Amino acid sequence: MDRERLRGEVKELLVSGLRLDVRPADIVDGAPIFGDGLGLDSIDALELVVLVEERFRLSIPDEEVGKRAFASVDALVEFILQERGE
Amino acid sequence: MPPAVVVTGIGAVTALGEGVGALAAGLAAGRCAIGPLTLFPYAGHAAIAAEVRASMSSPSGPLPRATVRRLSRPDRFALVAAAEACGAAGLGPDLGRDAAVYVGITTGGMLETEEAYRRRRAGEDDRFRLSRLLGTPLATAGAVVSQALGLYGRRETFSTACSSSALAVAMAADAVRRGVVPIALAVGTDGLCRLTYAGFDALQALDPEPCRPFDRDRRGLSLGEGAAALVLETAAHARARGARPQAAVLGWAATSDAHHVTAPHPEGAGALAALGAALADARVGPDAVDYVNAHGSGTRQNDAVEVGVLRRVFGRRLGHLPVSSAKSQLGHCLGAAGAVEAVVTVLALREGLLPPTLNLQHPDPAWDDLDLVPAAGRRASLGVAVSSSYGFGGHNVSLVLGREAR
Repeated sequence: MDRERLRGEVKELLVSGLRLDVRPADIVDGAPIFGDGLGLDSIDALELVVLVEERFRLSIPDEEVGKRAFASVDALVEFILQERGE
Repeated sequence: MPPAVVVTGIGAVTALGEGVGALAAGLAAGRCAIGPLTLFPYAGHAAIAAEVRASMSSPSGPLPRATVRRLSRPDRFALVAAAEACGAAGLGPDLGRDAAVYVGITTGGMLETEEAYRRRRAGEDDRFRLSRLLGTPLATAGAVVSQALGLYGRRETFSTACSSSALAVAMAADAVRRGVVPIALAVGTDGLCRLTYAGFDALQALDPEPCRPFDRDRRGLSLGEGAAALVLETAAHARARGARPQAAVLGWAATSDAHHVTAPHPEGAGALAALGAALADARVGPDAVDYVNAHGSGTRQNDAVEVGVLRRVFGRRLGHLPVSSAKSQLGHCLGAAGAVEAVVTVLALREGLLPPTLNLQHPDPAWDDLDLVPAAGRRASLGVAVSSSYGFGGHNVSLVLGREAR
């Protein structure tokens, strides 16, 4: 799958799934998802696991994997591609 | 003499707008805020309500952005009203260390909970989302308010149907007067939801027209939503810190009918006992009362029972005593009603302006001797007023408020 399109889909999911008050395009590709930028908390983390697992039909089994996957939008895109074996 | 309890700050979010200023202006103008129900589709007898349409510029304070983003509507209402009241009272971080929070609420974040179920059933979500269920417990309103405003004292949540926040005001005043807490914030909040709407509709308690309290043709209530908050402390405590009292809470009482799950006691035994005990608690005789802020829901039964109670307490003097129902403007705000109407009563005392009973086209002939304040903008010098709230299950709360402590 095209990285750029997947990146857009991930940002869209963040905004609509977590009901964020920002535009998808304003989310920085390499910035930490759980840094200060988006103002997310531990409940958003629980939500995001569910959202990503449902949308992309994959599994985030533990915190270790979650930390790696949600390091940034770019990291999440790489994680999704890798899980799908693309 | 027990210490006098005064109100040093008020706040409100109602269908008349955000803030006490919008409420006062709407009351003075006699604007009816009951309009089309837009929050959710509903195909029942009535599709009108007094909805809060204000933008709710949320004062988050130290509340994390993520928490603010997920607040249910009633929790947001509560926060905005509480912040306004604390701001007016000068209740800041130093006083917050020992400040108590008393909340009255009945359905809380039910609308958001219903939305979670709807999305799940419609297949929009494969699993329930935690973020859509966080506001379900009634205790979240108090939690949000205390966290955002830094209020570290005891926190209590009351849910006694439509008397919930009148009870919250009474219990806050009680704790202050007994010296249990130095200062207390009483809050009432509720938001419209399908559950409430369907329940009252099933009871055939909704008027398809904007509600007409005390009218011959009244057919029930109109639902509303919102929040109100009052900061209470002893007069001595207020004086010592230079806070200006806006009114006083002179007395209060609560009783149970122990009679029926929805209907009031036919002779209003419990309501009569509550009003009598509240006046006794205030050390105020019926002759000293200048205004009655009625429960006035607009159902056939409530209004008849309520007028009967007023007749027994005030006798012939009732003909010269203004009685009005703010529900004709704001709808029935359920868990928020008691606190909203306490704030309405504080405004009446403070401004010397009687809130009207709107939509009164044909006063019930059984009480054509009553002064139901059919028009807005009437001035009167008011010293003492009572505000009563009656809840399903027969729970009755009366508050006696004064322009000044006695």
